[in-house]
Amino acid sequence: MFLVVETVFFSIKSPYFLAWDNWLNILTAVAVIGIIAAPGTMLMTAGQFDLSVGSVTAFTSVVMANLALSHSIGFSLVLAVIAGIAVGVINGFLVTVVGVNALITTLGTLAAFRGLAEVTAKGQTVGVEGFEFLGTARPFWNIPVPVLVLVGVLAAFWLLMRFTVYGRAMFAIGSNPTAARLVGIRSGRYIFIGFVLSAAACAMGGLIFTSQLSVGSPVFGTGMELSVITAIVLGGASLSGGRGSIVGTAVGLLIIGILNNGLTLTGVDPFWQNVARGALLIGAVSFDRLRARLGD
Amino acid sequence: MNLDATGGTVLALLGENGAGKSTLVKILAGDYEADAGSIAVAGASYRSMDPAAARGQGIRMIFQELAAAPELSVAENVMLGQLPAWHGLVNWRSVRASAGRMLEDLGVELDLAAPVSSLRVAERQMIEIARALLGKARCLILDEPTAALSHQEVERLFSFIQRLRERGVAIIYITHRLDEVARVADRVQVLRDGASVLEGPVPEFRRKELVTAMVGKSVGETGRPVPLDRTPTRALLSFEAATSDGAFVDLDLTVGDGEVVGLYGKIGSGTAEVAEVAFGLRKLTGGQLAVAAGKRAARNPAHAIRSKVGFLPADRQREGAFMIRSVAENLCAPSWSRLARARLLISAKLEATAYGRWHDVLSIRSRNEPTQPIGTLSGGNQQKVLLGRWLESGSRVLVLVEPTRGVDVGARAEIYRSIRQLATEGVGVLVVTSDYEEVVQVADRAVVMSRGAITAQLAREDVSIERLSSAAGE
Repeated sequence: MFLVVETVFFSIKSPYFLAWDNWLNILTAVAVIGIIAAPGTMLMTAGQFDLSVGSVTAFTSVVMANLALSHSIGFSLVLAVIAGIAVGVINGFLVTVVGVNALITTLGTLAAFRGLAEVTAKGQTVGVEGFEFLGTARPFWNIPVPVLVLVGVLAAFWLLMRFTVYGRAMFAIGSNPTAARLVGIRSGRYIFIGFVLSAAACAMGGLIFTSQLSVGSPVFGTGMELSVITAIVLGGASLSGGRGSIVGTAVGLLIIGILNNGLTLTGVDPFWQNVARGALLIGAVSFDRLRARLGD
Repeated sequence: MNLDATGGTVLALLGENGAGKSTLVKILAGDYEADAGSIAVAGASYRSMDPAAARGQGIRMIFQELAAAPELSVAENVMLGQLPAWHGLVNWRSVRASAGRMLEDLGVELDLAAPVSSLRVAERQMIEIARALLGKARCLILDEPTAALSHQEVERLFSFIQRLRERGVAIIYITHRLDEVARVADRVQVLRDGASVLEGPVPEFRRKELVTAMVGKSVGETGRPVPLDRTPTRALLSFEAATSDGAFVDLDLTVGDGEVVGLYGKIGSGTAEVAEVAFGLRKLTGGQLAVAAGKRAARNPAHAIRSKVGFLPADRQREGAFMIRSVAENLCAPSWSRLARARLLISAKLEATAYGRWHDVLSIRSRNEPTQPIGTLSGGNQQKVLLGRWLESGSRVLVLVEPTRGVDVGARAEIYRSIRQLATEGVGVLVVTSDYEEVVQVADRAVVMSRGAITAQLAREDVSIERLSSAAGE
């Protein structure tokens, strides 16, 4: 509903808004957030969070750029992805084996890997040559690669959550962890995989940023965890687990994308855009709560 | 319904689960509102109560699940809600002095500075009662206070209640244990299916009359299971000299194919732990457990399920159901990989088909929509769905812990029928329960535990409430 109101409002305000190219702009702008929000949605249905997403994105991009200074693009790319996924392994290990709360764990890795990215890049942005394809190529219908990746990742996680035993188990874990154990679900293993998938998506995001701007930067994805969680929650996922859907997250993503894009097109001060995004999150969730309470 | 509590006397409110005991006293304590009728306290009449008004009138309830602040000290918990303060600043010296005096009055010795979380349930109960009395309680409601207490603790509680009575407090004592009525109460009122069926001074009634009033039919005839026409041919679950530290010692117990064994014992007797071991939730520290033909005991629930063991936990909401998920998902959860194509791909449609297989067999009363969240069903129907889990997964051994707790009478009969039906199909069932009625109604034979050891083995024709109770140390 928000989505329709928003779309109508901005299309009246700005003649460019409904143009095909503008839609591509909107999607490109939220592509990385969406790629990361897909595994994020699944983690949230299992009652878990990953706050470290922005830092993993930056860390991957910096590792990529640094390696590319002295090695081939392909080699750097593989190692960068491994580096990103390693953070997911750390998160997963701490949450499922050591038993640290996911919020605390990923808050820790959020800080630590932002710092490690800064250290690796010595606080600078590092240029990368010859790695434009992933971020800027438009192989067909003028659609940029990040948007294609976004659609692919959303589709993959839609299938995963809806049609696999793994996806079903994640819902069960989030809905009642004790009961999940008592029906023989290996919760630890499943949640571990969830964190690894989340980190893999972040690594993909880091590579896309690097390719789009031809640099690796330790400031990529700062504050991105907020946008990711906003999209997931706008999509109807429950913070306490057991509820959530990829279709919902896709809608949440569009709401954020359209809001940002529309505010820019209508010439609103970018600082106010942050205020709008925060208000949107609180507004949408409050609306949801009130509706649920009236429904009872 | 009428209820009458007088200062200086103990009224026992007796009834089975779901008889309406809790609802009645919750109206008194202001948690629920009565549809009709009124409440009179010391002469003043009220149409309804709210919790604050009930407290103001000195009506206090001590819940089964104790609601103290576990991280705070004993003294703070006693004084909770009435801390002596001067303009918002707590006077700690006075807190300790008042709390100490109160506990001393009651004959309870506790370290005032100890956190409540370090205390045992019985001691927490004393604190709750002390707090209620400090708030000038005139009427104290105790909801099944002995459920989690050991024998000595029960004795202490009873002498404690005696002292409260001498102080002129009116006590409403809720229970479903007959022996407690004779021990502690002056008057008794029996509830069944939401109506008061018997009322009067305790000495006027014999035990048998109370039981008949509570259950609704003559006890001798109570829904005995039809005996099986065959004897078990092999053991599906057998404990041999099994020991689990702190729970039970040197236990021998066998469940054969096609029989329902009732494992009866009070809370803390070790029965719950036996069930946990059978499902891989707890390890044996000595002896052994064999599952099915010669297989080793389960290491964890997943392993137990693969060995065809099913488990129904005691607490349906916290341990059993995925409340916000659909009934079909709830029923299929342990069978997902088996139902899935290539052990991987599952759809709501496959789940719905599986659910359809058991919906009528278990007489689940719902809109028959596989997508309906299980939380919208009644307790009894939820329990049927959870039982269906293990039918779908093809379990050969079922461990059912308190299978009809919080289930209404009609659904209970249907669950018992399903359990009997399973037995005729060759499934071995271990019903772990603290409800003797359950043993009488569903089991082929009974094993009774007390303090971690088996105290009686009763064949079907020997199972009676008296024998169960005495073997369980009641």
